[in-house]
Amino acid sequence: MEWLTTLQAALTDHTVLSADNLARYGEGLVTTVQLVFASLVIGLFLAVPLAIGRSSKRRWISLPIYAYTYVFRGTPLLVQLYLIYYGLPSIDALRDWQYWEYIDRAHVWALVAFTLNTAAYTTEIFRGAIKNTPRGEIEAAKAYGMGYWLRMRRIVLPSAFRRALPAYGNEVIFMLHASAVASIVTIMDLTGAARFIVARTYSAFEPYLWVACIYLCLTFAILYLFRYLEKRLLAHLRPAGE
Amino acid sequence: MADTPIPLEVRNIHKSFGDNHVLKGLSLEARKGDVITLIGSSGSGKSTFLRCMNLLEQPDSGDIIVHGEPITFKQTRHGYEPSDWKQVVRMRAKLSMVFQNFNLWSHMTLLENVIEAPIQVLGKPKAVAVQHAMELLDRVGLAERAHYYPAQMSGGQQQRGAIARALAMDPEVMLFDEPTSALDPELVGDVLKVMRDLAEEGRTMIVVTHEMAFAHDVSSQVIYLHQGEVEEAGPPDQVLGNPSSPRLKQFLAPNR
Repeated sequence: MEWLTTLQAALTDHTVLSADNLARYGEGLVTTVQLVFASLVIGLFLAVPLAIGRSSKRRWISLPIYAYTYVFRGTPLLVQLYLIYYGLPSIDALRDWQYWEYIDRAHVWALVAFTLNTAAYTTEIFRGAIKNTPRGEIEAAKAYGMGYWLRMRRIVLPSAFRRALPAYGNEVIFMLHASAVASIVTIMDLTGAARFIVARTYSAFEPYLWVACIYLCLTFAILYLFRYLEKRLLAHLRPAGE
Repeated sequence: MADTPIPLEVRNIHKSFGDNHVLKGLSLEARKGDVITLIGSSGSGKSTFLRCMNLLEQPDSGDIIVHGEPITFKQTRHGYEPSDWKQVVRMRAKLSMVFQNFNLWSHMTLLENVIEAPIQVLGKPKAVAVQHAMELLDRVGLAERAHYYPAQMSGGQQQRGAIARALAMDPEVMLFDEPTSALDPELVGDVLKVMRDLAEEGRTMIVVTHEMAFAHDVSSQVIYLHQGEVEEAGPPDQVLGNPSSPRLKQFLAPNR
């Protein structure tokens, strides 16, 4: 167990990887994962109906949704976060709202910004997948007496979700990386923790290096998860015998 | 048989795509057990006519009567439209269609394809639907392929699977839209054999096809379309064996 004592010595002597700082990284990891996971889940639930509406032939449904996705995909997440974090509280009517004190927290605003951002991207990913549903399969569903919503639920969406999986996996990874901007509005996420440790230790290189390693591990975990899902859910696209 | 309603009757169907008048008042009556084949060169309107019967294409005018129940139409600013889409959905469940490109649902296994509409549209219990589906798959020679996805099967297998899917609806009338045209020649035979069996057991079928031998052997009536009109119609021996129209003679010439 010689290596363990060496490691212990390294940890106690080392100013960056002190027990306190490790705990900060740990808390930052929890904050990042919570924030990203929550915004992805809410964004996903918003994106499904939005993508259906975006695919609608009725322009009064599809156009407003297009405007929303266009704005949120066409501007930087950091600017969106600034607008929501600094901009919204400057509206008097909002500040006078009775529940204001409960929602006026950086975490809430970051969650709102991230959710709106990922919902916009996910909507467009799903819309593309819905649009690429083979025409013949939709005709078959019509010819067998399925109405619009039954077709959507049983044929179009299940097939579209599968097609969207690889692109959505990328969106999840992008969202994880983009979540680093949360640290700018005082949130102690992974990057926030690294910034804090940099300020404490005057070591500008190492704290970011460690945090990069943690992001890398998270990314690999996400990649692995999506590879597993694709293997399970895209079985129908592989030829027999595999 | 006078008291049982006619499975499918269409009258005076007109359809244009822009300036192109593709169907010029076509009518057809499929009585129980009839096998009606529609033949004609490409562009004659035979597939469009078939697709008008279950409203995958909307006719510009005409009547469609399924099992004695006329589809109600209304004139809107978009044109001639069914006034009640729920009625259309209900009527489509009585007609099942087999497509040129099979159109099996690619994310479902063959068995799931066959039980999908019986469960979701007809409301059959799953166990009943599965049992029926397995009998049908066995019948078309695909029982051991039940858990394969469409992409894992040959075209001929997919088309026989699609026929099993059509049969699972217990349809009044089966519509076949060039079911062998997308198949490799060596796979056509299996599909035609299944269709011959269906004709023999008295299924009501309307078939758009280029297979003249098949049309001759199984049809109760052959309709030759030319530019959206009936050029010649009648029993197969007469229409295919002794055609009177010069165009039809020319059309049939390569098969002699």
